[in-house]
Amino acid sequence: MTGTETRREQRHRFVPGQPDMWAFVLFETLLFTSYFAVYLFNRARNEELYLQSQAHLELWVGVLNTIVLLTSSWSIARCVQAARAGGYRAALGNAFLTAGLGAVFLVCKVVEWVRQFRMGNTLTTNDFFMHYFFLTGLHCLHLLIGFVVLGMIVYQLRSPARRSQTLVETCATYWHTVDFLWVLIFAMLYVVR
Amino acid sequence: MRHRLLIAWAVLCALTLGYLWLDHSADGHGGLRASTVVTTAAIVIALVKVRIIFREFMEVRHAPVLLCRLTDASIAIMAVSLLGSYFAGVALG
Repeated sequence: MTGTETRREQRHRFVPGQPDMWAFVLFETLLFTSYFAVYLFNRARNEELYLQSQAHLELWVGVLNTIVLLTSSWSIARCVQAARAGGYRAALGNAFLTAGLGAVFLVCKVVEWVRQFRMGNTLTTNDFFMHYFFLTGLHCLHLLIGFVVLGMIVYQLRSPARRSQTLVETCATYWHTVDFLWVLIFAMLYVVR
Repeated sequence: MRHRLLIAWAVLCALTLGYLWLDHSADGHGGLRASTVVTTAAIVIALVKVRIIFREFMEVRHAPVLLCRLTDASIAIMAVSLLGSYFAGVALG
């Protein structure tokens, strides 16, 4: 690649959404990483308790939840692309699909919590369930904020006077953050041994 | 471009389904057993998935070099922190 081509490529590169959202994404990443590090350290020192408690979780439910949220991330990425290309109807459709998939995830999570409560597992049962309810609860809080963020995308896309591609990208970046945080939480709670 | 998103989604789903195989191969027909291989693989696969989400869904591959490096650095910090704390726990356990 020549120097001119490299410079041209650099000019075409862009930050998706507002840079402030990226600062938030990196901050959240470091915050959750710190929590996961403490969790893994404690887990490795008390493997039996964590394994016995982990046996109460259904791996396939976690896999299903993850695929639902990955699909929602895919649909919001398509929403961004459609809005960029001026296809606002398609973008709106994808935003609604994302919200629907987010709702499916939320319902699955509530059903799983109810199942755990019925088995007598609560926040105070042991260290594993303290981490389980704290991490999944905190993630659901992020998901609920995500619904507000999706509402902002719909509000933006509905009127030609309001449409801001930067805001759509910023909101989509938030939703992807909810997705990748779940990818990590799922691995920590359901898969690691 | 659309196909690229679909391929990324398919790879992410395949990696997620790979956890079922990992789980089955680790435990067979018995109960859950501690496994360093499974834990390391689970963390590495999760980080690969996070990088794909960053690059493809969050469009970091089109972003300025600084953002590409910052996201890669955050994944590297995650890898060192998570694997480091797990092995430290095993060593001190």
